[in-house]
Amino acid sequence: MVIQEQMSIQKKLEILSDAAKYDVACTSSGVNRSGKGDGMGNSLACGICHSFSADGRCISLLKVLFTNECIFDCKYCANRSSNDVVRASFTPEEISELTMEFYRRNYIEGLFLSSGILISPNHTMELILEALRLLREVHHFNGYIHCKAIPGADPALIEVLGWYADRMSINLELPTAQSLRELAPHKNRKNILKPLRQIQLRREHTKDYLGLPGGKQSLAQFIPDYHSSNGTQLVRKVWSANAVVPDPQIQEILTSETRLSPYWNNPIMDRKYVPAGQSTQMIIGATKETDYQIMTVAETLYDNFDLKRVFYSAFMNVNQDSRLPDTSQGPPLLREHRLYQADWLLRFYGFEVKELLNEENPNFNVLLDPKCDWALRHLDLFPVEVNTANLSTLLRVPGIGTNSARRIIMARKSAKLEFNDLKKLGVVLKRALYFITCNGKMMYPIKIEEDFITRQLISSKDRLLKGIEPDITYKQLSLFDDVNFVLAQGNQIQLAKG
Amino acid sequence: MKRIYICEDSVDGIFTAIYLAWSSRYGHNNIKIEAKSKGGHYTNLELFSDYITVDTDYELALKVAKSIKEKISLDVYEILCRIALSNYEAKADLMYRFLILGFHLGPKVMECLSNEIVNQIFRINKNVNNEVHHMLGFVRFSQQENGLLTSVIHPKNNVISLITPHFVDRLPEEKFVIYDENRHLASLHIPSRPWVLLELSDLDKDIFKQFTYDEDSYQDLWKTFFQRISIKERENYKLQRNNLPLRFRKDMTEFQP
Ligand code: SF4
Repeated sequence: MVIQEQMSIQKKLEILSDAAKYDVACTSSGVNRSGKGDGMGNSLACGICHSFSADGRCISLLKVLFTNECIFDCKYCANRSSNDVVRASFTPEEISELTMEFYRRNYIEGLFLSSGILISPNHTMELILEALRLLREVHHFNGYIHCKAIPGADPALIEVLGWYADRMSINLELPTAQSLRELAPHKNRKNILKPLRQIQLRREHTKDYLGLPGGKQSLAQFIPDYHSSNGTQLVRKVWSANAVVPDPQIQEILTSETRLSPYWNNPIMDRKYVPAGQSTQMIIGATKETDYQIMTVAETLYDNFDLKRVFYSAFMNVNQDSRLPDTSQGPPLLREHRLYQADWLLRFYGFEVKELLNEENPNFNVLLDPKCDWALRHLDLFPVEVNTANLSTLLRVPGIGTNSARRIIMARKSAKLEFNDLKKLGVVLKRALYFITCNGKMMYPIKIEEDFITRQLISSKDRLLKGIEPDITYKQLSLFDDVNFVLAQGNQIQLAKG
Repeated sequence: MKRIYICEDSVDGIFTAIYLAWSSRYGHNNIKIEAKSKGGHYTNLELFSDYITVDTDYELALKVAKSIKEKISLDVYEILCRIALSNYEAKADLMYRFLILGFHLGPKVMECLSNEIVNQIFRINKNVNNEVHHMLGFVRFSQQENGLLTSVIHPKNNVISLITPHFVDRLPEEKFVIYDENRHLASLHIPSRPWVLLELSDLDKDIFKQFTYDEDSYQDLWKTFFQRISIKERENYKLQRNNLPLRFRKDMTEFQP
């Protein structure tokens, strides 16, 4: 403690941003809030990237830990109590001033505050709360704040925090309760899921209560119209507290009468409660869960906890802990990438996890993206006619994204579309051409056949790089899931020995 | 003989030329409009053509703006303003061709994405929008001794008037200047007054040379943060370059030595 009193803010920032870098956050928040005419700040729904660090990731928030002191000992974490590292803590004043000054200079969109656990979850939460209070009430900061809830903190503290933050997150850390027990012995899954549920319920409650515009939206059941050819909304359709959830612990949290804590007079009445919703993060590759298990958990969170985002973070063995997988060859980035692609398919393309993976086929193919992979397994549904297919059908075509699908629907109102039109609309023809017709004709006379298309879809460059024979068949290829590969540095993929 | 209208490179200049060209009834195919960029070089001098120099007339420009909003849509009006601010050479004539279609088809003109002209408008609009969106994040302010925030930018398109409102909304209590060094345009905001766009004379330009850009300690803190937040094991300079093209970096604090 004495040491950190003397520590310069420069040094603290060094330590506490370094310690925060593994957390994923993004501001494409869905919150549109214009300035108030005084104070400082506004917020744009689409999110703004202010810079990109050397790893190519977007920097939009001042992402720091409040403290890297921690009483817990999670095996995967550099801040764990058993590690001998330099410890530092900000004060609430320092956090709020740093945020304001960075924001004025347009370095950042706002603050992402996470933390180790100093003394106790409640003590830490109170410090964080004070930092946020200073920002909102003293500096009249109107920009974006994303804040971590500390598992195990008093629900009353989480309750208040939600009035100051735009987004809150509680990291699930690991996909299953068992893995969590093994790697984070001081945490338990219920302590993580409970605040998620609490915030979810409060958000719904206050929307009705405050009568704010867009009130019931998260409860509304967006049922995509699979038969309309010009529908423009396609949002995940499920919302159900009684859905069959495979995980008994989740089921318990969902069905138990989670009581809202006594209703506070919220400090700033013109704000919504956690308006940008919640997100969470899972570590990928530290434990033995399959992609199928991971995606099933993600789907459950989207459907039942109304989460806005689930982030996947490729495991890095920062502590060189021999009990955990070795990552000296680099973190499993390709696997992480496939999970994100699948996540998009769930959120924007109307897919369900069970269409993409199953018990027999529990991991994504490393060489094909999940949508191509799905399409190859469903060749009987193709080709589709772009001039008549409805939105949800178009969205399932490899090479057609959400934007190009909507443009197709718009453009075909005034003209019959040909292949060269599709290019202008942003369709990736190289991939789509095997799956579509324009006015009844395919682009080239090709036979719709698994192995042929597979070979075409994997570019020759990839094949060479990965040492794959040019006459590979789809069947052989589908054996090459992540489990059979080691991802070596330089993105080269080699067949694992043994 | 072909008639070529040469106008000022601005929204009003181009709209004035469109008004004059249209009402001349000389026939759309016999007309071409060219926006003359600063320094006044013509894109391509054609020998057997009539050149007509257009003086910008705000009344006429307003009339064009009004009929676009009424007969086509507010959306299309905003899109055309962005096209006029783009760095696409043949934009003035493209806008003219687009309006021929637009006044014929009405609001649904933007749906005709397979039409070459509409598609080009769509693409340029997207391109300008992208740069605007980039600039909202990449603009960097430096604080001068008197508290004034200053920023110098070098955008491809003339986006200063498109980005300033965002900063006015965001920093209502700050006095700030954004300066487009290539175009000698500056936008100035003083709290509780409307912001203004200034065209700087050669004399005024030197003001910006007097400002300091390495004064305050927050710049060092920001650089520290910028370096620390990157994950070594994931370093990917190609991805960084795709997301943040090199051309923006010379104006960004974190890339200064
Ligand atoms: S509680 Fe958080 S900071 Fe502490 S060891 Fe676990 S993951 Fe690390």
